[in-house]
Amino acid sequence: MRIIVCAKHVVDSTEIRWDEGRGEVMLRNLPTKISDYDRNALEAAVVLKETGDAVGLEVVMIGGEPAVKTLKEAVAMGADKGYLVEGGWDDPFDPTRTARALTEAIGSLEEPDIIMCGLVSEDGYSGVTGPALAQMLDLPYLGPVVLLEVDAAAGSVEAVLDMGSVRRTVKVPTPCVLGIDSLMNVPRLPTVLQVMKVKADRIGRISLSSLGLTAGAAELTPAAELVGCASGAVERKRVVIEGPAHESAVKLVESLRQEGVL
Amino acid sequence: MAARYVVSAAAVSDLQRMAQAARELAGADGRVDAVALAGDAGVLAPEAATPEEVVGRLGRLADRLLVYEGAGGWLRGDVWASALRDALDEGAEAVFVADSPSAREAVGRVAAALGSSCVSMCDRVDRDGDRLVATRSIYGGVAEGRIALPNAPAACLFAAGKFEGEAGGPAAAVERRPSAAEPYELASVGEEPVVKTVDLAGAAVVVSVGRGFAKAEDIELVQPLVQALGAELGCSRPVAEDFKWLPKERLVGLTGTSVTAGLYLALGISGQVQHLAGIKGARIVAAVNSDARAPIMRNADYVVVGDLYKVVPELVAALGGSA
Repeated sequence: MRIIVCAKHVVDSTEIRWDEGRGEVMLRNLPTKISDYDRNALEAAVVLKETGDAVGLEVVMIGGEPAVKTLKEAVAMGADKGYLVEGGWDDPFDPTRTARALTEAIGSLEEPDIIMCGLVSEDGYSGVTGPALAQMLDLPYLGPVVLLEVDAAAGSVEAVLDMGSVRRTVKVPTPCVLGIDSLMNVPRLPTVLQVMKVKADRIGRISLSSLGLTAGAAELTPAAELVGCASGAVERKRVVIEGPAHESAVKLVESLRQEGVL
Repeated sequence: MAARYVVSAAAVSDLQRMAQAARELAGADGRVDAVALAGDAGVLAPEAATPEEVVGRLGRLADRLLVYEGAGGWLRGDVWASALRDALDEGAEAVFVADSPSAREAVGRVAAALGSSCVSMCDRVDRDGDRLVATRSIYGGVAEGRIALPNAPAACLFAAGKFEGEAGGPAAAVERRPSAAEPYELASVGEEPVVKTVDLAGAAVVVSVGRGFAKAEDIELVQPLVQALGAELGCSRPVAEDFKWLPKERLVGLTGTSVTAGLYLALGISGQVQHLAGIKGARIVAAVNSDARAPIMRNADYVVVGDLYKVVPELVAALGGSA
């Protein structure tokens, strides 16, 4: 089976802070990386390659030019080839536009049997890009996938989905789109040497303008746009209680009784 | 033309919440149509025995309940998407759906098929001139973002929340429609219920543990406190996902559960933004941490600077229990 994993180059979410002075989110000069959840999708695909169920594994990455570094790391996890979708379709808050760019990019490659996505991206947490991609490609979607078995000979996928109150096992013929849950696996970390060994010929580029689509094309115009933001912090009282453990505990219990929450 | 909104959800209380949000936007002239999926054994979305039960709970919040029949044995995202698209065919400003795994598929498909603006994790949606603007948590809760949604019908996936309104008044009309779906070939070959032993979202008091605990066994230390407070035990991301000391159903935060407790007591939790995102709904946050500079200390109402191994037994004693 041929597998394509969709991945996104993002700012490290643990480093993002609110800038009180400027009244905006500080995003400049922060470390970037592959979205954590996409690493789970990639791990699931690499395992299928190791078991011989997958014979081709490609990564299609959304992100700006710096994403090439991240893409090499992704390929070093065990993919055959990686493609950067040029042009900046990585707005965190416009998932259908990202899905459209992925659809066009995937359409320019040899047809896959399975397309895998992380369940959410680390920047947008929207959780709808995979389903939107499935719709655009007219394919069934399975997610959140926590267990996966493929039958390459029969051309089918059996997956256990974590639907909250039930775990449901479903079976679909390929091709299909899978949303991989982070609970499914622990992604491997490629070594520095493995990353260095990824030669330039394993990194490709897909230019949507060469596919006849430009930023102004109707399909790719923004459908959702961040127009303002405010601090996400909730103002708290910040009453500090210091001293020996016994006195602190008594003071805290007194305060909580006064608040009426005990 | 008066504004029309379509709402749907996997649970009745969420459907009430979606209808209420739509009703506020629609105003007196506007219309709110709720979409339900009826399957082989009762209503699948929102989960209920009969459409009449759903209508009773909706009251005046919706004008009509559109019941799409033949949805099969379980709630499928593609079937749900087809029903929503059929309901949206009559024209609508937006469709509001409460977040759930199937809802994500349904909303993603609807937005992709209709070229809609799409937004997730909405807390609210307002009108700003001739466009709709959603307010949602962004970057893991660091900020509240306002997202403009120019393409109607805007497909909005709402974050978890509580319905707190009044649903009384005249009941909505029920309109039954045949299934609009041409579903994909997809077979359910097994189903295993997940036994929920934890209710973090609904608990009045939550006591959460973090990396301040040196090892898994030490978490036992908080059990007398949990009992004395009648609390539910929660935890931070490292405890559930990295160390796997507690199951993920106890995880509080962006990738876990958001709490609505009266009291949230954070023990040895540093307070990363992803964790803080899950405790915004708590009325009072108290924290015990040895590090006075930990982010949780700036995001709590009462902070005890100290060794939790000493403070926790003292808290139990102060509450009148036995440590």
